[in-house]
Amino acid sequence: MGLFILRRSGVMLLTALCLTFIVFTLTNLYPNLEKLAKTQGNFRMTDEAVASWLDKNGYSQPMAVKYGQWLGVLPGWTLESDDGTTGRCITGVAAQVQAAEAPRFCGILQGHWGHSTVLQKDVASVVTERLGNTLRLMGWVLLLMIPSALIIGVLAGMREGSVTDRSLSTVSILTTATPEYVSGVVFIAIFTSSTVGLKWFKGSATAATENPTFENFFLPVLTIALYGMGYIARMTRASMTEVMTAQYIRTARLKGVSFPKIVLKHALRNALIAPFTVIMLQFPWLLNGVVIVETLFNYKGFGWILVQAAGNNDIELLLAISVVSVFVVLVTQLISDIGYVFLNPRIRIS
Amino acid sequence: MTHNSTTDVTPHWAAQMHAQEVIDGKLDRREFLTRATGLGVSAAAAYGLLGLTAPAAQAATEMKSGGTLRVQMEVRPLKDPRTYDWSQMANQTRGTLEYLVEYNNDGSIRGMLLESWEVNEDATVYTLNLRKGATWNNGDAFTAEDVARNIAGWCDKGLEGNSMAGRFSTLIDPETNAAVEGGIEIVDEHTLRLNLPGPDISLIAGMADYPAAITHSSFQTTDFTKNVGTGPYLLSSLEVGVKAVLDRNTAHKWWGEEVYGTPALDRIEYTDFGTDPSSWLAALESDEVDMLYESVGEFIDVMDALGYPKSEVVTMATIVVRPNQLAEVDGKRPYADKRVRQAIQMAVDNAVCLELGYGNRGQAAENHHVGPIHPEYAKLPPQKYDPEAARALMDEAGMLDFEHEIISIDDDWRKNTTDAVAAQLRDAGFKVKRTVLPGSTFWNDWVKYPFSSTNWNPRPLGVQIHALAYRSGEAWNEFGWSNEEFDALLTQALAIADADKRREVMKKMEMIIQDEGVTIQPYWRSLYRHMREGVANADMHVTFEHHHYKWGWSA
Repeated sequence: MGLFILRRSGVMLLTALCLTFIVFTLTNLYPNLEKLAKTQGNFRMTDEAVASWLDKNGYSQPMAVKYGQWLGVLPGWTLESDDGTTGRCITGVAAQVQAAEAPRFCGILQGHWGHSTVLQKDVASVVTERLGNTLRLMGWVLLLMIPSALIIGVLAGMREGSVTDRSLSTVSILTTATPEYVSGVVFIAIFTSSTVGLKWFKGSATAATENPTFENFFLPVLTIALYGMGYIARMTRASMTEVMTAQYIRTARLKGVSFPKIVLKHALRNALIAPFTVIMLQFPWLLNGVVIVETLFNYKGFGWILVQAAGNNDIELLLAISVVSVFVVLVTQLISDIGYVFLNPRIRIS
Repeated sequence: MTHNSTTDVTPHWAAQMHAQEVIDGKLDRREFLTRATGLGVSAAAAYGLLGLTAPAAQAATEMKSGGTLRVQMEVRPLKDPRTYDWSQMANQTRGTLEYLVEYNNDGSIRGMLLESWEVNEDATVYTLNLRKGATWNNGDAFTAEDVARNIAGWCDKGLEGNSMAGRFSTLIDPETNAAVEGGIEIVDEHTLRLNLPGPDISLIAGMADYPAAITHSSFQTTDFTKNVGTGPYLLSSLEVGVKAVLDRNTAHKWWGEEVYGTPALDRIEYTDFGTDPSSWLAALESDEVDMLYESVGEFIDVMDALGYPKSEVVTMATIVVRPNQLAEVDGKRPYADKRVRQAIQMAVDNAVCLELGYGNRGQAAENHHVGPIHPEYAKLPPQKYDPEAARALMDEAGMLDFEHEIISIDDDWRKNTTDAVAAQLRDAGFKVKRTVLPGSTFWNDWVKYPFSSTNWNPRPLGVQIHALAYRSGEAWNEFGWSNEEFDALLTQALAIADADKRREVMKKMEMIIQDEGVTIQPYWRSLYRHMREGVANADMHVTFEHHHYKWGWSA
């Protein structure tokens, strides 16, 4: 098991390296740098001014050098001018003496995630803060989605073909078939606007970052949860119907064990193996879902900074976001692999 | 000749002449105010010339003292004010970093940090009298030294993206890319003189523009909440894309309390709801904001129907849908041919663009980028709209088979207007391809696209727009247009302080722009803003400025 985790971590590191290099290359293409210079300088800036801005801010170095600096394996750039020294490891313009005291290396290895050009803040603090908001959203989504999905799936799978099964299956197919950007808009139209008159909730979750209430937070949660719920419920149902036809269940029924007892004591554990993996797969997918829903409801979380960073070519912020995303995807996979072993003792990890 | 209404100095001769014209009914009152105040006459004195009293400054009794106003607005990253490219940025800092003068909706310019100013007859010497008793909020005295430093900074062409350099180009020495030697002269602690190498009538108007914020010598761009300014508010928190908060600075005595009264609000909160107007409406409906930055498109009708109070202002803000004469498509310069440009112009009916592009909320324009609110506007005979003739002309130029690609940004009115132009060109029998680019990439090449649309904010004077965008070789000349005759006329116009004499030159300039088919400039926009019941004195401003010290809640 130890070796397995170690190997997985190695793969994770390698994936992160490859992915960040790709993101780095794409964000450092000249048109993107030009865009960056224009958002930072003036969006009606001339070409000469763009080139001079890029020069002054260390963006015109070779790609590999810049990547090395971001990683922290190459010393950060410095530039001396009449006003003082500027550089990667120096905040603002510093005098000669202060510049000499600044660290030579400042990259990921040294714990420096860099500076977000659009949010004008330290990347590490931006990411932690926004990730916190999204985790809160995701927490409530999971809390709503998993129990209800499991309940729906188990209820539907207990008796295949019954009225309960048919109606619950229809509901799950319907919710899975409706993506967030459809259901979200429909919810906003029905539950928030003055035109319909059902002003139960608020159409904007901006205030929820500071002060989440049922009124301003429930709609985004519901929108994401509904989409995932149907999928998990379908998986649970399939797994449950399969278990319910198994030999040992039939034996138990013949021996006169009551139906609720069969479901709870014998069928459930086996039926939950498949949904468990699916649930774990939901985490990386939730990161996608929040991009849409956070934009729709104006909730300032991880998905929102992803859009901001991509739209403004905020290089270091995008890199940090990709690192976090790689981490989330691979860690949840690791957890699902390990959890699988506990649910199904026949599988051994070696 | 001074701006101070309490003195009995004779007003500028031209102002008196214009006053007579208003009385004779030859001149619009709004135009008069722009001209007179631009010549250094105070708004009160200008009304006085007409035998009227100036509209009373907002009576303090109708507004409650205190309170918070929550406003929906994009919260943008801040930088050196000289490089500001969005009005929002200036609104975020305007509470602290103030301006020398202020442009108002009636077309007048009034003093803020300047108490008064005088311009000599041929607009080559400006005397600026600073507000006495104004202090920076760290206790430093506000002196001519500060203003001189700022003006010198405006003239620094070496700063990338410094748009003030364009407004003060007369004062800049092309050799050194800085202010001319002796151009900025400190007369005494509260007086400053600008000695221009050539005449320029637009300097005072340029000082009212949003990148002209006056900064302290300690100004820095790492943390804007710590910047020292002269204003009544402090930017107490700034989270880009999320929120900006302005708090009343109780520790500092604002100079304006004696002049314009005590600001009412304790706090102004700007919250960013993205760029989608439906989110803005949701924010208003969810009681998360009290006022919108701007209402656009069909949402204006929606919010009217919901009963929110509306503020409207007619502006000289507009859009140009223009071919670029220098742009190459497949190795050729399709728009270098005057016939092609004229054909394009002739095939488009501006009234249709206004209707389909902006829901008839405005006034049709005449393709030369000078309008009725500009003092030097000269009315020209209506242009010919004739798709048949346009087709014939295009055929004559041998360009009937050419496929025009028209590029626009992806939004509501700019996209719709460009679509309307494309549809009319298609109706005339031209081949047209439409490309819509997202806002984040659109601005990369905005001056270089062969055929595209760009929105333009209003400027107080028509010649300012021409100097900024239509002169040969200007950085913002997106038309790729260069015309010696026009340049010469412009230089001439920029030296005429009297708007009537300037109009004669302007008429020729307008005609050249029309005749050369430089651009389709279809209409002038009206701007709108919706707010909650009870918000007082927060009317929509012609150039999107937020004058926080005027705002409040009605009692």
